[in-house]
Amino acid sequence: MPKFKTIVKALVPLAVLGLAGFWVLTIPHPLTADQLPKHTADVTNGEKLFHASGCHSCHLPSKDSGLDEASVAGGAPLKTPIGTLYPPNLTPDPETGIGKWSDVDFVNAMQKGIGKDGEHLIPAFPYTSYAHMSTEDVLDIKAYLATLPAVKNAVPQHEVTALPLIRRGLGLWKYVGLKDAKFVNDPAQSASWNRGAYLVNGAGHCAECHTPRTFYMASDDAKFLGGGPHPDGQGKVPSLRDLVGRGKYKDAADLVSAFQDGEAMGYEHLSSGGMGAVQSNLSKLPVEDLNAIAEYLLSLK
Amino acid sequence: MKLKLSAAALGLSLFMGLAANATHAASPDDAIKARLACMKSHGAVLKLGAPMVKGEKPFDAAALKAAYDAEDKACADWANMWGADTQKGDKAKTDALPEVWSNAKGFADAQAALVAATPKLRAAADAKGFKAALPAFVGACKACHEKFRRPDG
Repeated sequence: MPKFKTIVKALVPLAVLGLAGFWVLTIPHPLTADQLPKHTADVTNGEKLFHASGCHSCHLPSKDSGLDEASVAGGAPLKTPIGTLYPPNLTPDPETGIGKWSDVDFVNAMQKGIGKDGEHLIPAFPYTSYAHMSTEDVLDIKAYLATLPAVKNAVPQHEVTALPLIRRGLGLWKYVGLKDAKFVNDPAQSASWNRGAYLVNGAGHCAECHTPRTFYMASDDAKFLGGGPHPDGQGKVPSLRDLVGRGKYKDAADLVSAFQDGEAMGYEHLSSGGMGAVQSNLSKLPVEDLNAIAEYLLSLK
Repeated sequence: MKLKLSAAALGLSLFMGLAANATHAASPDDAIKARLACMKSHGAVLKLGAPMVKGEKPFDAAALKAAYDAEDKACADWANMWGADTQKGDKAKTDALPEVWSNAKGFADAQAALVAATPKLRAAADAKGFKAALPAFVGACKACHEKFRRPDG
């Protein structure tokens, strides 16, 4: 029988190999500037996509900061199972915001989940959905953010144990969790349906909560938009399938009215569990986009 | 005058809710059912008013008045609907989050916002006035549900 020391000696190279493998597998692979499409930014489109993406819902300032609550100065605590996160400042402030970010920095964050310093971003930031957006739309959001007033607000560090290790480990998670395929139109469906599908699955990132997750915390595609446990740990996120059949809404017009008015027209379930902020964002979208979202959602049986 | 009285009654019941959290005679299930009925009575006002605001139905002051009276009746005992033993029902289901009790001040403030918005809504004499008063009232519903109501499955 080999001695204990011999076993340890045999294990050391294995561990080194394992660590090296982990290191290699978790190397972030950001895009480079020359991989971006040539694009003239459209600020109006950017504003629309900004609301569709729900940026403000998480990147708002904390209540006690005294800052304008409508700004995206960041810092409001976001409680997650791994700890309390402080979403960053998205205003153009060069020191505490994203004023110094290049286009490719922004696209890498939104679609590859890689921060300005090359670190893996925690997927509470739904880049897994934003990855499906067109890069042009992402660049338009950046152009819109650049028009907002700069707010100086240095947000606190995330309160997460072993954050650097978790960030590195996310490199592994991305193999199962991040499918960065751009949205492709389904030619069998109407233009409006495709627009709805694009908004729901890309910017809208509905599946982040409305699709349950697998053991590996990746989206469980077999139960796409089928509802699941609430990420806060309280209650359930409802299914978005068969909304009419289940008696939740009468028809597409009813659903659009719910998006626009929420509680104001008696759609009282649209406020809890974070949907209040989502509905506020949706109400800022043009009605054609809301019709498209409703058409797409109601086609899911 | 009647209007002010009912608003005062709502306010008073809220105050008593703060002051006398412990006095409740009903069983937890009864309390949960009672507060659901109160919430539904608010919802009934919105469901009645929504088509009027949208112009789908004419403004109907009498129907609204009936809905307000139903609200006052259903919510009169508000103070006794939130005892600490009503966090979970026996048979009755509740969407109330534990924050209702762990953040009692926040919950009371949220309720106070609804009480504050009520008189203006009730004073509305036409669809335009109703529409103008609606955001404050509904904003109070929404703000409270965002924090204190469990998402539904």
